[in-house]
Amino acid sequence: MRKGVLAVALFLTGGSAMAAGPDVSLLARTCNNCHGVGGVSAGASMPSIGGLPRGYLESVMKQWKYDERGAATMNRIVKGLSDDEINALAAYFAKKPWVPVSQPVGPAMHKKGKAVISENCEDCHGPTGGDPDEDAPKINGQWAKYMELELDKYRDEEFLMPHRKMKKTARKMKPAEVPAAAHYFGAQGR
Amino acid sequence: MHSQIDRRAFLKALSAASGASILSIPRAHAAKAKARVVVVGGGYGGATAAKYLRLMDDDIEVTLLERETLYTSCPLSNEVMSGERDIKTLQRGYKGLQKHGVNVVHDEATTIDPVKKTVATASGKTFAYDFLILSPGIDFNFGAVEGYSKELADTTLPHAWKAGPQTLALKQQLEAMPDGGKFIIAVPPGPFRCPPGPYERAAQVANHCMHHGKKRAKVLILDANDSFSKRPLFEQAWKELYGYGPGGMIEWIPGAQDGKVERLDPKTLTCYTGFGEHQGDVVNIIPPHHAGKVAKDLGLATFKDKWCEVKPENMESTKLKDVFVIGDSCVGGELATNNGFPKSAHMAITQAKVVVASIVAKVNGLPPPVPIYTNTCYSVVAPDWGFSVVHLYRVQNGQWVYIKEGSGISPVTFGTKEQPKPVPRIYRRLEVEYADGWLRNVLADAFA
Repeated sequence: MRKGVLAVALFLTGGSAMAAGPDVSLLARTCNNCHGVGGVSAGASMPSIGGLPRGYLESVMKQWKYDERGAATMNRIVKGLSDDEINALAAYFAKKPWVPVSQPVGPAMHKKGKAVISENCEDCHGPTGGDPDEDAPKINGQWAKYMELELDKYRDEEFLMPHRKMKKTARKMKPAEVPAAAHYFGAQGR
Repeated sequence: MHSQIDRRAFLKALSAASGASILSIPRAHAAKAKARVVVVGGGYGGATAAKYLRLMDDDIEVTLLERETLYTSCPLSNEVMSGERDIKTLQRGYKGLQKHGVNVVHDEATTIDPVKKTVATASGKTFAYDFLILSPGIDFNFGAVEGYSKELADTTLPHAWKAGPQTLALKQQLEAMPDGGKFIIAVPPGPFRCPPGPYERAAQVANHCMHHGKKRAKVLILDANDSFSKRPLFEQAWKELYGYGPGGMIEWIPGAQDGKVERLDPKTLTCYTGFGEHQGDVVNIIPPHHAGKVAKDLGLATFKDKWCEVKPENMESTKLKDVFVIGDSCVGGELATNNGFPKSAHMAITQAKVVVASIVAKVNGLPPPVPIYTNTCYSVVAPDWGFSVVHLYRVQNGQWVYIKEGSGISPVTFGTKEQPKPVPRIYRRLEVEYADGWLRNVLADAFA
């Protein structure tokens, strides 16, 4: 089948859950502005979201919507979406393939990062970040800058973050360990 | 009625294709195209429309008419002017669109014949269309400020309200300005391109002066308007970072206090308002502007004789069938409640996607899709201080509805109204980083 014809099938298949609102694919294309086509971000502070677990995407968006999780921008954006739309978006992006964007890292940083993550991150995210526990995000080839900023949020006492284990782990890391861990995972491919 | 097989086949195909930049391979000997679409203007709106048409249905033939071979993003160009950003980070060519099978023609659309459905160009070519998407940006009314002109803008008095050479020219003037010098920004009556832009520019100029031995410099905003976008956030940041008011580095004079610049003496760099005069060392006139000439000449600028009115459901011109107007040229949103569409890159991109969905549905005999319009706009006032506004519009009963719950500016304070607390600095720092991430992604979304 030709791709053009397939792409059109989008209109027939996506919208059944939300007869009155916009089709989920149309809604998702507004996410592309900042998160890239297929949820693969062009960088560096914005995360890729395509292929992340449905439960994770859904809970993060709902936590923002109901003020259970701090954010600088996203909490305002998701408040305009219905829970059904959030569910549909989470399902839509979860079905996309996870496309790691492997970013170069120097050997010293790599070595330090490996030590840091085996101590702090590996238990839940896996040794490369690509094989996490259920509903934890994949972080292999996620944008390092984004991960650094996320860790900064978890480490900041004034920033409302919901995950106890992440908070505890992030706060015991030394300042220099944060970029090391972020760049280590950012350098991973598939 | 929708079979599971169709859905799976489709998702599989989309999965295989997504994330790569080779989504559409142009077929050299294609069967007759389902439709011919001409896009006028290769900024954020036009580039996105051209790309997404090809992504969503590569049986549609797309021609993009754009004068320039290199695009320079207006968003974040104030950072270039102040020396915080390299202009190259704002620039993209059109090879990405060509890879999607867009026929990119570097030429200027001059005349449109809506009856014959053709577009004529400056070089004498003619392009036929089934659907026409106009995204021509803005053109200036230089005569609105007496004494100012296009010639001055191109030489000694750049407006830099289209990013590019003028941005760099203004940067040079700022760098040459002495300590104690005065930088005047004259703001035209709204609505104008980039509502928070002049005020972000003021902050970027002040930031430059603070860090380049010009702590006695002044930035004077002479405004034709009485308020502005993200005002509480700007005023808070100006006050804290640079000093705001008559004693501070940044001063703002609203229209009601004789802020509107009506005349300029380009020799003495004096701005004349109704009753006063202000002499500057650098004078940055942002001239009043309107829908791009090609749209205006077509008689589409029916709103205040400046902007093009369009239909909420799909951005089709209210005047001409099969002609769509997107980006800064159009007017939309909830105008009655002063919640119109802001003239931003992000808006242009979401408008483009609405048009594309409508055209693709139409040519494939599918029901018209329900649109949604979103905006995100960051302002950077210092290397570690940024904030944003977001907007959400839906269409209900054929009208735009501004969705307040999904709109609004970054918090000005935390805590309660009675006991406000300062917003932790991490929030301001994050939004500077997000501004940069936003830029990379919108450039990729439109051009890659």
